[in-house]
Amino acid sequence: MNIQFSGVSKVFEPDIAALVDINLNIEQGEFVYVIGQTGSGKSTLLRLITRELLPSKGVVAVGGYDLRRMRKADIPYYRRDVGLVAQDFKLIPTLTVYENIAFVMEAMSVPKRLVAERAKDVINQVGLWRRRSMRPAQLSGGEQQRVAIARALANSPSLFIADEPTGNLDFHTAADVMKILFAINAAGVTVVMSTHNQGIVNASRQRVIELEGGRLIRDEKGGLYSE
Amino acid sequence: MTTLRYVLRDTWRLIVHHWVLGLLTLITAGVMLWILGGTTLLSLNLESMLTGLESELAVQAYLVKDNTIDVESVARRIQSLEYVYSIKTYSPSDSLAKLQRKMGSQSHALEMLGDNPIPWNFEIHVNSAQDVEPLVEALKDMPEVEDVVYAGLVVKRISALSRVSSRIAIIMFSLAVIITALVVYNTIHISLYSRREEIGIMYLVGATRAYIATPFVLEGTLLALFGAIIAGAGIIAMYFPAIELIRENLPLLTNILITDKGLIWRFCGLLAGFGATLGWVCSYLVVARFINSITRPE
Repeated sequence: MNIQFSGVSKVFEPDIAALVDINLNIEQGEFVYVIGQTGSGKSTLLRLITRELLPSKGVVAVGGYDLRRMRKADIPYYRRDVGLVAQDFKLIPTLTVYENIAFVMEAMSVPKRLVAERAKDVINQVGLWRRRSMRPAQLSGGEQQRVAIARALANSPSLFIADEPTGNLDFHTAADVMKILFAINAAGVTVVMSTHNQGIVNASRQRVIELEGGRLIRDEKGGLYSE
Repeated sequence: MTTLRYVLRDTWRLIVHHWVLGLLTLITAGVMLWILGGTTLLSLNLESMLTGLESELAVQAYLVKDNTIDVESVARRIQSLEYVYSIKTYSPSDSLAKLQRKMGSQSHALEMLGDNPIPWNFEIHVNSAQDVEPLVEALKDMPEVEDVVYAGLVVKRISALSRVSSRIAIIMFSLAVIITALVVYNTIHISLYSRREEIGIMYLVGATRAYIATPFVLEGTLLALFGAIIAGAGIIAMYFPAIELIRENLPLLTNILITDKGLIWRFCGLLAGFGATLGWVCSYLVVARFINSITRPE
Protein backbone atom coordinates (compact mmCIF):
# COMPACT_ATOMS: atom_id res chain seq x y z
CA MET A 1 0.00 0.00 0.00
CA ASN A 2 1.62 3.27 -1.06
CA ILE A 3 1.21 6.55 0.82
CA GLN A 4 1.12 9.97 -0.75
CA PHE A 5 1.18 13.38 0.98
CA SER A 6 0.45 16.29 -1.37
CA GLY A 7 0.82 19.78 0.12
CA VAL A 8 -0.33 18.58 3.52
CA SER A 9 -0.54 21.02 6.41
CA LYS A 10 -2.07 20.42 9.80
CA VAL A 11 -2.96 23.27 12.12
CA PHE A 12 -4.31 22.60 15.62
CA GLU A 13 -6.51 25.11 17.42
CA PRO A 14 -5.91 27.90 18.16
CA ASP A 15 -3.02 28.34 15.75
CA ILE A 16 -0.39 25.64 16.15
CA ALA A 17 1.08 24.47 12.87
CA ALA A 18 2.06 20.83 13.43
CA LEU A 19 2.85 20.12 9.79
CA VAL A 20 3.55 22.58 6.99
CA ASP A 21 3.26 21.77 3.28
CA ILE A 22 4.45 18.16 3.37
CA ASN A 23 4.97 16.38 0.05
CA LEU A 24 6.17 12.80 0.06
CA ASN A 25 5.57 9.44 -1.50
CA ILE A 26 6.11 6.09 0.22
CA GLU A 27 6.01 3.04 -2.03
CA GLN A 28 4.57 -0.38 -1.22
CA GLY A 29 7.09 -2.50 0.72
CA GLU A 30 9.32 0.37 1.85
CA PHE A 31 10.71 0.71 5.38
CA VAL A 32 10.70 4.36 6.41
CA TYR A 33 11.95 6.05 9.58
CA VAL A 34 10.34 9.34 10.53
CA ILE A 35 12.70 11.23 12.78
CA GLY A 36 12.83 14.64 14.41
CA GLN A 37 12.74 16.29 17.79
CA THR A 38 9.76 16.12 20.12
CA GLY A 39 7.04 18.36 18.67
CA SER A 40 8.46 18.22 15.15
CA GLY A 41 5.25 16.62 13.80
CA LYS A 42 6.17 12.90 13.62
CA SER A 43 3.10 11.61 15.45
CA THR A 44 0.84 14.02 13.56
CA LEU A 45 2.16 12.62 10.27
CA LEU A 46 1.46 9.04 11.39
CA ARG A 47 -1.97 9.94 12.76
CA LEU A 48 -2.86 11.47 9.41
CA ILE A 49 -2.08 8.10 7.81
CA THR A 50 -4.31 6.22 10.27
CA ARG A 51 -7.00 8.89 9.75
CA GLU A 52 -7.12 9.79 13.43
CA LEU A 53 -6.52 13.30 12.12
CA LEU A 54 -7.58 15.06 8.96
CA PRO A 55 -5.31 17.52 7.17
CA SER A 56 -6.12 21.22 7.39
CA LYS A 57 -4.82 21.54 3.84
CA GLY A 58 -3.68 19.15 1.12
CA VAL A 59 -4.35 15.49 0.43
CA VAL A 60 -3.28 12.32 2.23
CA ALA A 61 -3.86 9.36 -0.06
CA VAL A 62 -3.27 5.74 0.95
CA GLY A 63 -3.53 3.03 -1.69
CA GLY A 64 -4.84 5.72 -4.04
CA TYR A 65 -7.72 6.75 -1.73
CA ASP A 66 -8.00 10.31 -0.46
CA LEU A 67 -8.53 9.69 3.25
CA ARG A 68 -10.55 12.88 3.71
CA ARG A 69 -13.13 11.59 1.26
CA MET A 70 -13.37 8.21 2.92
CA ARG A 71 -16.89 7.45 4.15
CA LYS A 72 -17.28 7.07 7.93
CA ALA A 73 -18.50 3.51 7.47
CA ASP A 74 -15.36 2.58 5.50
CA ILE A 75 -12.85 3.76 8.11
CA PRO A 76 -12.86 0.49 10.16
CA TYR A 77 -12.30 -1.55 6.99
CA TYR A 78 -9.37 0.70 6.05
CA ARG A 79 -7.87 0.40 9.53
CA ARG A 80 -8.03 -3.40 9.38
CA ASP A 81 -5.45 -3.12 6.62
CA VAL A 82 -3.26 -0.83 8.74
CA GLY A 83 -1.35 -2.40 11.62
CA LEU A 84 -0.82 0.15 14.36
CA VAL A 85 1.74 0.08 17.16
CA ALA A 86 1.96 2.98 19.57
CA GLN A 87 4.53 3.98 22.16
CA ASP A 88 1.94 3.55 24.92
CA PHE A 89 0.97 0.13 23.44
CA LYS A 90 -2.78 0.87 23.46
CA LEU A 91 -3.68 -2.54 24.87
CA ILE A 92 -6.99 -3.17 26.60
CA PRO A 93 -6.09 -3.64 30.27
CA THR A 94 -9.05 -5.87 31.13
CA LEU A 95 -8.26 -8.42 28.43
CA THR A 96 -5.53 -11.07 28.39
CA VAL A 97 -2.77 -11.19 25.78
CA TYR A 98 -4.78 -13.72 23.79
CA GLU A 99 -8.02 -11.71 24.05
CA ASN A 100 -6.29 -8.45 23.08
CA ILE A 101 -5.18 -10.10 19.86
CA ALA A 102 -8.34 -12.10 19.24
CA PHE A 103 -10.74 -9.17 19.48
CA VAL A 104 -9.45 -7.43 16.32
CA MET A 105 -10.34 -10.56 14.39
CA GLU A 106 -13.62 -11.00 16.25
CA ALA A 107 -14.55 -7.46 15.19
CA MET A 108 -14.26 -8.79 11.63
CA SER A 109 -16.58 -11.71 12.47
CA VAL A 110 -13.80 -14.26 11.95
CA PRO A 111 -15.03 -17.65 13.26
CA LYS A 112 -13.71 -18.66 16.67
CA ARG A 113 -11.62 -21.57 15.35
CA LEU A 114 -9.79 -19.36 12.84
CA VAL A 115 -9.32 -16.66 15.47
CA ALA A 116 -7.67 -19.24 17.73
CA GLU A 117 -5.35 -20.43 14.97
CA ARG A 118 -4.31 -16.96 13.84
CA ALA A 119 -3.90 -15.65 17.41
CA LYS A 120 -1.67 -18.60 18.24
CA ASP A 121 0.33 -17.95 15.10
CA VAL A 122 1.00 -14.24 15.78
CA ILE A 123 1.59 -14.73 19.52
CA ASN A 124 4.21 -17.33 18.60
CA GLN A 125 5.74 -14.90 16.11
CA VAL A 126 6.44 -12.44 18.93
CA GLY A 127 7.43 -15.25 21.31
CA LEU A 128 4.73 -14.74 23.94
CA TRP A 129 2.66 -17.93 23.76
CA ARG A 130 3.50 -18.85 27.34
CA ARG A 131 2.19 -15.48 28.50
CA ARG A 132 -1.07 -15.61 26.52
CA SER A 133 -3.29 -15.71 29.64
CA MET A 134 -1.70 -12.72 31.32
CA ARG A 135 -3.09 -9.22 31.35
CA PRO A 136 -1.01 -6.27 30.06
CA ALA A 137 -0.23 -5.04 33.59
CA GLN A 138 1.48 -8.36 34.33
CA LEU A 139 3.90 -7.95 31.40
CA SER A 140 7.09 -5.91 30.98
CA GLY A 141 7.15 -2.92 28.60
CA GLY A 142 8.91 -4.93 25.90
CA GLU A 143 6.39 -7.75 26.19
CA GLN A 144 3.49 -5.33 25.98
CA GLN A 145 5.02 -3.82 22.86
CA ARG A 146 5.30 -7.29 21.36
CA VAL A 147 1.64 -7.93 22.16
CA ALA A 148 0.79 -4.68 20.37
CA ILE A 149 2.82 -5.86 17.35
CA ALA A 150 1.09 -9.25 17.41
CA ARG A 151 -2.28 -7.51 17.48
CA ALA A 152 -1.27 -5.29 14.56
CA LEU A 153 -0.23 -8.41 12.66
CA ALA A 154 -3.42 -10.33 13.35
CA ASN A 155 -5.29 -9.00 10.34
CA SER A 156 -2.26 -9.41 8.02
CA PRO A 157 -2.08 -5.68 7.20
CA SER A 158 -0.38 -4.29 4.14
CA LEU A 159 0.73 -1.17 6.00
CA PHE A 160 2.37 -1.07 9.41
CA ILE A 161 2.49 2.19 11.38
CA ALA A 162 4.71 2.26 14.47
CA ASP A 163 4.84 5.43 16.57
CA GLU A 164 8.04 5.25 18.60
CA PRO A 165 7.62 1.54 19.31
CA THR A 166 10.99 1.34 21.06
CA GLY A 167 10.57 4.58 22.99
CA ASN A 168 10.08 2.94 26.37
CA LEU A 169 12.33 -0.07 25.85
CA ASP A 170 15.93 -0.88 26.74
CA PHE A 171 18.44 -1.50 23.96
CA HIS A 172 18.12 -5.31 23.85
CA THR A 173 14.35 -5.31 23.97
CA ALA A 174 14.26 -2.59 21.33
CA ALA A 175 16.50 -4.73 19.13
CA ASP A 176 14.07 -7.66 19.51
CA VAL A 177 11.15 -5.45 18.50
CA MET A 178 13.11 -4.18 15.47
CA LYS A 179 13.84 -7.75 14.37
CA ILE A 180 10.10 -8.39 14.29
CA LEU A 181 9.46 -5.18 12.32
CA PHE A 182 12.14 -6.06 9.75
CA ALA A 183 10.61 -9.51 9.38
CA ILE A 184 7.22 -7.92 8.76
CA ASN A 185 8.76 -5.61 6.15
CA ALA A 186 10.55 -8.54 4.51
CA ALA A 187 7.12 -10.07 3.91
CA GLY A 188 6.25 -7.08 1.69
CA VAL A 189 4.47 -4.92 4.26
CA THR A 190 5.11 -1.17 4.13
CA VAL A 191 6.48 -0.04 7.51
CA VAL A 192 6.48 3.60 8.64
CA MET A 193 8.09 4.08 12.02
CA SER A 194 8.79 7.22 14.01
CA THR A 195 11.72 7.05 16.39
CA HIS A 196 14.25 8.96 18.47
CA ASN A 197 16.56 5.96 18.58
CA GLN A 198 19.69 6.98 16.75
CA GLY A 199 21.31 3.55 17.07
CA ILE A 200 18.44 1.74 15.42
CA VAL A 201 18.25 4.18 12.49
CA ASN A 202 21.98 4.18 11.90
CA ALA A 203 22.26 0.40 12.14
CA SER A 204 19.67 -0.40 9.51
CA ARG A 205 20.25 2.36 6.89
CA GLN A 206 16.69 2.61 5.62
CA ARG A 207 14.91 5.59 4.13
CA VAL A 208 14.85 8.49 6.61
CA ILE A 209 12.34 11.33 6.63
CA GLU A 210 13.32 14.13 8.98
CA LEU A 211 10.91 16.75 10.28
CA GLU A 212 11.69 20.02 12.00
CA GLY A 213 9.03 22.41 13.24
CA GLY A 214 6.46 20.61 11.11
CA ARG A 215 8.50 20.93 7.89
CA LEU A 216 10.11 18.11 5.96
CA ILE A 217 13.79 18.95 5.95
CA ARG A 218 15.29 15.67 4.71
CA ASP A 219 14.09 12.64 2.78
CA GLU A 220 17.02 10.29 2.20
CA LYS A 221 17.20 6.65 1.14
CA GLY A 222 19.70 4.62 3.20
CA GLY A 223 20.08 7.59 5.50
CA LEU A 224 21.51 8.04 8.98
CA TYR A 225 19.91 9.67 12.01
CA SER A 226 22.00 12.82 11.51
CA GLU A 227 23.56 13.98 8.30
CA MET B 1 -24.00 -15.73 13.84
CA THR B 2 -20.33 -15.40 14.80
CA THR B 3 -20.71 -11.65 15.34
CA LEU B 4 -23.85 -12.21 17.41
CA ARG B 5 -21.98 -14.63 19.65
CA TYR B 6 -19.14 -12.11 20.18
CA VAL B 7 -21.60 -9.27 20.79
CA LEU B 8 -23.59 -11.30 23.34
CA ARG B 9 -20.37 -12.26 25.12
CA ASP B 10 -19.27 -8.61 25.28
CA THR B 11 -22.71 -7.58 26.55
CA TRP B 12 -22.45 -10.16 29.31
CA ARG B 13 -18.95 -8.88 30.17
CA LEU B 14 -20.29 -5.32 30.39
CA ILE B 15 -23.12 -6.32 32.70
CA VAL B 16 -20.82 -8.36 34.93
CA HIS B 17 -18.17 -5.63 34.95
CA HIS B 18 -20.68 -3.02 36.20
CA TRP B 19 -22.91 -5.38 38.16
CA VAL B 20 -23.58 -3.03 41.10
CA LEU B 21 -24.56 -0.21 38.78
CA GLY B 22 -26.56 -2.67 36.69
CA LEU B 23 -28.41 -3.94 39.75
CA LEU B 24 -29.26 -0.39 40.83
CA THR B 25 -30.50 0.40 37.33
CA LEU B 26 -32.53 -2.79 37.29
CA ILE B 27 -34.19 -1.96 40.62
CA THR B 28 -34.84 1.68 39.69
CA ALA B 29 -36.20 0.75 36.27
CA GLY B 30 -38.30 -1.99 37.90
CA VAL B 31 -39.80 0.39 40.48
CA MET B 32 -40.41 3.14 37.94
CA LEU B 33 -42.00 0.80 35.40
CA TRP B 34 -44.08 -0.73 38.21
CA ILE B 35 -45.35 2.77 39.03
CA LEU B 36 -45.92 3.38 35.33
CA GLY B 37 -47.76 0.08 34.88
CA GLY B 38 -49.70 0.50 38.13
CA THR B 39 -50.77 4.03 37.25
CA THR B 40 -51.83 2.93 33.79
CA LEU B 41 -53.83 0.03 35.21
CA LEU B 42 -55.45 2.28 37.82
CA SER B 43 -56.30 4.77 35.13
CA LEU B 44 -57.71 2.03 32.88
CA ASN B 45 -59.83 0.75 35.76
CA LEU B 46 -61.11 4.24 36.52
CA GLU B 47 -61.88 4.64 32.83
CA SER B 48 -63.69 1.32 32.85
CA MET B 49 -65.65 2.37 35.95
CA LEU B 50 -66.56 5.70 34.38
CA THR B 51 -67.58 4.03 31.15
CA GLY B 52 -69.74 1.65 33.17
CA LEU B 53 -71.35 4.51 35.02
CA GLU B 54 -71.68 6.56 31.87
CA SER B 55 -73.49 3.74 30.13
CA GLU B 56 -76.06 3.97 32.92
CA LEU B 57 -76.44 7.70 32.49
CA ALA B 58 -79.67 8.59 30.74
CA VAL B 59 -81.35 11.86 29.92
CA GLN B 60 -85.13 11.77 30.00
CA ALA B 61 -86.86 14.22 27.65
CA TYR B 62 -90.61 14.77 28.03
CA LEU B 63 -92.61 16.18 25.13
CA VAL B 64 -95.32 18.80 25.29
CA LYS B 65 -98.79 17.23 25.56
CA ASP B 66 -99.96 17.92 22.05
CA ASN B 67 -101.44 15.29 19.75
CA THR B 68 -100.24 17.13 16.63
CA ILE B 69 -96.57 16.52 17.42
CA ASP B 70 -94.90 14.00 15.15
CA VAL B 71 -93.05 11.94 17.83
CA GLU B 72 -91.04 9.92 15.33
CA SER B 73 -89.74 13.03 13.62
CA VAL B 74 -88.64 14.51 16.98
CA ALA B 75 -86.92 11.22 17.85
CA ARG B 76 -85.03 11.31 14.52
CA ARG B 77 -83.91 14.90 15.17
CA ILE B 78 -82.64 13.97 18.62
CA GLN B 79 -80.91 10.86 17.25
CA SER B 80 -79.08 13.07 14.76
CA LEU B 81 -77.43 15.08 17.57
CA GLU B 82 -73.72 14.21 17.87
CA TYR B 83 -73.86 13.47 21.62
CA VAL B 84 -76.52 10.78 21.34
CA TYR B 85 -75.52 7.14 21.55
CA SER B 86 -79.04 5.67 21.59
CA ILE B 87 -82.61 6.78 22.01
CA LYS B 88 -85.66 4.88 23.14
CA THR B 89 -89.18 6.19 22.70
CA TYR B 90 -91.84 5.61 25.37
CA SER B 91 -95.52 6.19 24.79
CA PRO B 92 -97.61 7.49 27.74
CA SER B 93 -99.00 4.00 28.33
CA ASP B 94 -95.57 2.35 28.16
CA SER B 95 -94.27 4.90 30.64
CA LEU B 96 -97.11 4.26 33.04
CA ALA B 97 -96.61 0.51 32.82
CA LYS B 98 -92.90 0.99 33.47
CA LEU B 99 -93.66 3.14 36.49
CA GLN B 100 -96.10 0.58 37.79
CA ARG B 101 -93.50 -2.14 37.48
CA LYS B 102 -90.98 -0.02 39.32
CA MET B 103 -93.41 0.72 42.17
CA GLY B 104 -94.35 -2.90 42.54
CA SER B 105 -96.86 -3.47 45.37
CA GLN B 106 -97.42 0.27 45.79
CA SER B 107 -98.46 0.78 42.17
CA HIS B 108 -102.14 1.11 43.16
CA ALA B 109 -101.26 4.63 44.32
CA LEU B 110 -101.02 5.58 40.66
CA GLU B 111 -104.76 5.04 40.28
CA MET B 112 -105.24 8.22 42.30
CA LEU B 113 -103.77 10.20 39.40
CA GLY B 114 -106.80 9.56 37.27
CA ASP B 115 -105.86 10.01 33.61
CA ASN B 116 -102.36 9.08 32.64
CA PRO B 117 -100.39 12.34 33.15
CA ILE B 118 -97.19 11.10 31.50
CA PRO B 119 -96.53 12.52 28.01
CA TRP B 120 -94.55 10.89 25.17
CA ASN B 121 -90.93 10.79 26.28
CA PHE B 122 -87.48 9.63 25.28
CA GLU B 123 -84.75 7.84 27.21
CA ILE B 124 -81.51 9.09 25.66
CA HIS B 125 -78.06 7.53 26.27
CA VAL B 126 -74.94 9.60 25.57
CA ASN B 127 -71.45 8.71 24.33
CA SER B 128 -69.72 10.08 27.44
CA ALA B 129 -70.54 11.95 30.61
CA GLN B 130 -69.19 15.19 29.13
CA ASP B 131 -71.92 14.99 26.45
CA VAL B 132 -74.81 15.26 28.90
CA GLU B 133 -74.70 19.03 29.47
CA PRO B 134 -74.60 20.05 25.79
CA LEU B 135 -77.31 17.49 25.01
CA VAL B 136 -79.56 18.94 27.70
CA GLU B 137 -78.98 22.44 26.28
CA ALA B 138 -79.86 21.22 22.79
CA LEU B 139 -83.01 19.47 24.03
CA LYS B 140 -84.16 22.54 25.94
CA ASP B 141 -83.91 24.55 22.72
CA MET B 142 -86.42 22.24 21.00
CA PRO B 143 -89.98 23.66 21.19
CA GLU B 144 -91.53 20.15 21.35
CA VAL B 145 -89.63 19.34 24.53
CA GLU B 146 -91.32 20.45 27.70
CA ASP B 147 -88.97 19.08 30.33
CA VAL B 148 -85.58 17.44 30.61
CA VAL B 149 -84.62 15.28 33.59
CA TYR B 150 -81.07 14.10 34.24
CA ALA B 151 -78.65 13.41 37.06
CA GLY B 152 -76.80 16.73 36.70
CA LEU B 153 -74.49 16.58 39.76
CA VAL B 154 -73.50 12.97 39.17
CA VAL B 155 -72.64 13.82 35.57
CA LYS B 156 -70.53 16.78 36.60
CA ARG B 157 -68.64 14.75 39.20
CA ILE B 158 -68.01 11.87 36.86
CA SER B 159 -66.74 14.24 34.17
CA ALA B 160 -64.45 16.00 36.64
CA LEU B 161 -63.13 12.70 38.00
CA SER B 162 -62.51 11.48 34.48
CA ARG B 163 -60.53 14.61 33.60
CA VAL B 164 -58.49 14.57 36.85
CA SER B 165 -57.68 10.86 36.59
CA SER B 166 -56.53 11.30 32.98
CA ARG B 167 -54.27 14.19 33.97
CA ILE B 168 -52.78 12.34 36.95
CA ALA B 169 -52.17 9.29 34.77
CA ILE B 170 -50.40 11.41 32.14
CA ILE B 171 -48.22 13.12 34.78
CA MET B 172 -47.30 9.83 36.51
CA PHE B 173 -46.68 8.15 33.18
CA SER B 174 -44.43 10.98 31.98
CA LEU B 175 -42.50 11.08 35.27
CA ALA B 176 -41.94 7.33 35.27
CA VAL B 177 -40.79 7.39 31.63
CA ILE B 178 -38.42 10.33 32.22
CA ILE B 179 -36.88 8.81 35.37
CA THR B 180 -36.44 5.37 33.77
CA ALA B 181 -34.94 6.95 30.66
CA LEU B 182 -32.53 9.07 32.72
CA VAL B 183 -31.41 6.11 34.84
CA VAL B 184 -30.74 3.91 31.80
CA TYR B 185 -29.05 6.82 29.99
CA ASN B 186 -26.74 7.51 32.95
CA THR B 187 -25.86 3.86 33.50
CA ILE B 188 -24.85 3.39 29.88
CA HIS B 189 -23.01 6.70 29.91
CA ILE B 190 -20.97 5.60 32.96
CA SER B 191 -20.38 2.24 31.32
CA LEU B 192 -19.15 3.97 28.15
CA TYR B 193 -17.07 6.50 30.05
CA SER B 194 -15.28 3.81 32.04
CA ARG B 195 -14.38 2.10 28.75
CA ARG B 196 -13.69 5.16 26.63
CA GLU B 197 -10.05 4.21 26.17
CA GLU B 198 -10.98 0.69 25.03
CA ILE B 199 -13.58 2.10 22.65
CA GLY B 200 -10.95 4.38 21.12
CA ILE B 201 -8.55 1.45 20.74
CA MET B 202 -11.22 -0.80 19.26
CA TYR B 203 -12.10 1.83 16.67
CA LEU B 204 -8.45 2.39 15.91
CA VAL B 205 -7.79 -1.28 15.19
CA GLY B 206 -10.76 -1.68 12.88
CA ALA B 207 -13.88 -2.44 14.90
CA THR B 208 -16.97 -0.94 13.29
CA ARG B 209 -19.06 1.54 15.23
CA ALA B 210 -21.95 -0.93 15.22
CA TYR B 211 -19.72 -3.68 16.66
CA ILE B 212 -18.55 -1.33 19.44
CA ALA B 213 -22.00 0.12 20.11
CA THR B 214 -24.17 -3.01 20.08
CA PRO B 215 -23.08 -4.48 23.46
CA PHE B 216 -23.75 -1.14 25.17
CA VAL B 217 -27.14 -0.76 23.49
CA LEU B 218 -27.98 -4.35 24.39
CA GLU B 219 -26.90 -3.74 27.98
CA GLY B 220 -29.32 -0.81 28.29
CA THR B 221 -32.10 -2.70 26.53
CA LEU B 222 -31.67 -5.78 28.72
CA LEU B 223 -31.55 -3.79 31.97
CA ALA B 224 -34.75 -1.95 31.07
CA LEU B 225 -36.38 -5.17 29.82
CA PHE B 226 -35.60 -7.07 33.02
CA GLY B 227 -36.71 -4.03 35.02
CA ALA B 228 -40.01 -4.16 33.14
CA ILE B 229 -40.33 -7.92 33.72
CA ILE B 230 -39.81 -7.36 37.46
CA ALA B 231 -42.40 -4.57 37.32
CA GLY B 232 -44.83 -6.85 35.46
CA ALA B 233 -44.31 -9.63 38.01
CA GLY B 234 -44.96 -7.11 40.79
CA ILE B 235 -48.15 -5.94 39.12
CA ILE B 236 -49.45 -9.48 38.62
CA ALA B 237 -48.54 -10.41 42.18
CA MET B 238 -50.48 -7.45 43.58
CA TYR B 239 -53.30 -6.86 41.09
CA PHE B 240 -55.20 -10.12 41.32
CA PRO B 241 -55.24 -10.23 45.16
CA ALA B 242 -56.44 -6.60 45.08
CA ILE B 243 -59.27 -7.53 42.69
CA GLU B 244 -60.17 -10.46 44.96
CA LEU B 245 -60.33 -8.08 47.92
CA ILE B 246 -62.63 -5.71 46.00
CA ARG B 247 -64.79 -8.66 44.89
CA GLU B 248 -65.29 -9.61 48.55
CA ASN B 249 -65.92 -6.12 49.88
CA LEU B 250 -67.43 -4.16 46.98
CA PRO B 251 -69.15 -6.75 44.78
CA LEU B 252 -70.95 -4.01 42.80
CA LEU B 253 -67.64 -2.80 41.37
CA THR B 254 -66.53 -6.24 40.21
CA ASN B 255 -68.37 -5.99 36.91
CA ILE B 256 -66.92 -2.65 35.92
CA LEU B 257 -63.29 -3.35 36.92
CA ILE B 258 -60.78 -5.07 34.64
CA THR B 259 -60.67 -8.65 35.85
CA ASP B 260 -59.68 -10.48 32.68
CA LYS B 261 -56.45 -12.34 33.56
CA GLY B 262 -55.44 -12.69 29.93
CA LEU B 263 -55.75 -8.94 29.46
CA ILE B 264 -53.51 -8.24 32.48
CA TRP B 265 -50.88 -10.72 31.23
CA ARG B 266 -50.98 -9.05 27.83
CA PHE B 267 -50.68 -5.67 29.53
CA CYS B 268 -47.55 -6.88 31.36
CA GLY B 269 -46.16 -8.17 28.06
CA LEU B 270 -46.77 -4.74 26.59
CA LEU B 271 -45.01 -3.17 29.61
CA ALA B 272 -41.99 -5.43 29.00
CA GLY B 273 -41.96 -4.40 25.35
CA PHE B 274 -42.26 -0.77 26.33
CA GLY B 275 -39.38 -1.11 28.84
CA ALA B 276 -37.15 -2.77 26.27
CA THR B 277 -37.95 -0.12 23.67
CA LEU B 278 -37.31 2.68 26.16
CA GLY B 279 -33.99 1.06 27.13
CA TRP B 280 -33.05 0.62 23.50
CA VAL B 281 -33.84 4.22 22.55
CA CYS B 282 -31.97 5.71 25.55
CA SER B 283 -28.92 3.48 25.11
CA TYR B 284 -28.85 4.07 21.38
CA LEU B 285 -28.92 7.84 21.86
CA VAL B 286 -26.18 7.92 24.48
CA VAL B 287 -23.97 5.38 22.65
CA ALA B 288 -24.29 7.13 19.28
CA ARG B 289 -23.46 10.48 20.88
CA PHE B 290 -20.53 9.13 22.88
CA ILE B 291 -18.98 7.10 20.09
CA ASN B 292 -19.35 10.04 17.72
CA SER B 293 -17.52 12.29 20.13
CA ILE B 294 -14.55 9.99 20.66
CA THR B 295 -14.13 8.71 17.12
CA ARG B 296 -14.44 12.04 15.33
CA PRO B 297 -11.10 12.91 13.69
CA GLU B 298 -9.65 16.27 14.73
